[in-house]
Amino acid sequence: MIEVGRLVTKIAGRDAGKKAAIIDILDDKYVLIDGETRRRKCNVLHIEPLNQVIKIEKSASHEEISKALKEIGIEAMQTKPKLKTEKPKKKRKTPEQLREQKEEKKKLRDLFKFKKKEEKAEEKKEETLEGKAGLIEEKKEENKETKKVEAGLKTAPVEDKEAATKEDNKNTTKKMAKKIEKET
Amino acid sequence: MPAPRLRSRSLRRVFRKVPGGRVSLHYKKRKPKAAKCGNCGALLKGVPRELPYKMRSMAKTKKRPERPYGGVLCSKCMRKEIINRVRQ
Repeated sequence: MIEVGRLVTKIAGRDAGKKAAIIDILDDKYVLIDGETRRRKCNVLHIEPLNQVIKIEKSASHEEISKALKEIGIEAMQTKPKLKTEKPKKKRKTPEQLREQKEEKKKLRDLFKFKKKEEKAEEKKEETLEGKAGLIEEKKEENKETKKVEAGLKTAPVEDKEAATKEDNKNTTKKMAKKIEKET
Repeated sequence: MPAPRLRSRSLRRVFRKVPGGRVSLHYKKRKPKAAKCGNCGALLKGVPRELPYKMRSMAKTKKRPERPYGGVLCSKCMRKEIINRVRQ
């Protein structure tokens, strides 16, 4: 049963269930195998012989065996040759690259910073279309005019102040009113 | 007195030292039983006994042996299966 050229399946190991052919008999116990499995020696107890026999010379090369097995219909295992690639060398970064790294890190940090309410309001103004068109500047000018008016009113007595503040409150918004209250 | 849900014997009791310096009782789940062969019932080798949250985080190759029917049949039953398949 065990002779050179006999087809065989492996029973044990990772390649259990795969077919191969005997190439050489080494010992009472060990045998050389090649085919769908890798080319190596194998224990006789881990082999189950089949009915077929191939015509091979003793210790033939891998290519001859793959040709002989193709005629029967078995594809032999083929390993790709390893590509030699160079090890990636570590290079020091130039000062420009370091600056770019720092700027990117700063941007990420600023995104997650805790923002105060005033800063949030300023950002909202800038994002709205009015801010982009430049209409916010007009509002700032109006603020300056009202401030001048208030300065003139401060000298007047208290009753006039209340009346003036009431008149101003009708015309101005809530934010303006808060500013006026702070100043008085 | 422990709460009624903690009196079950499916929890195991463990004494643990706490950062405050005292010793306190902790309740932990028990591990599942070892896996067995689908054919003969022998204990399988190469399959760990862990709770599901640990098994999910393990790699696939660490949960079963690398051979056909690994983790399902023991090695003896696997050899018999392949021989029967060939002899038909």
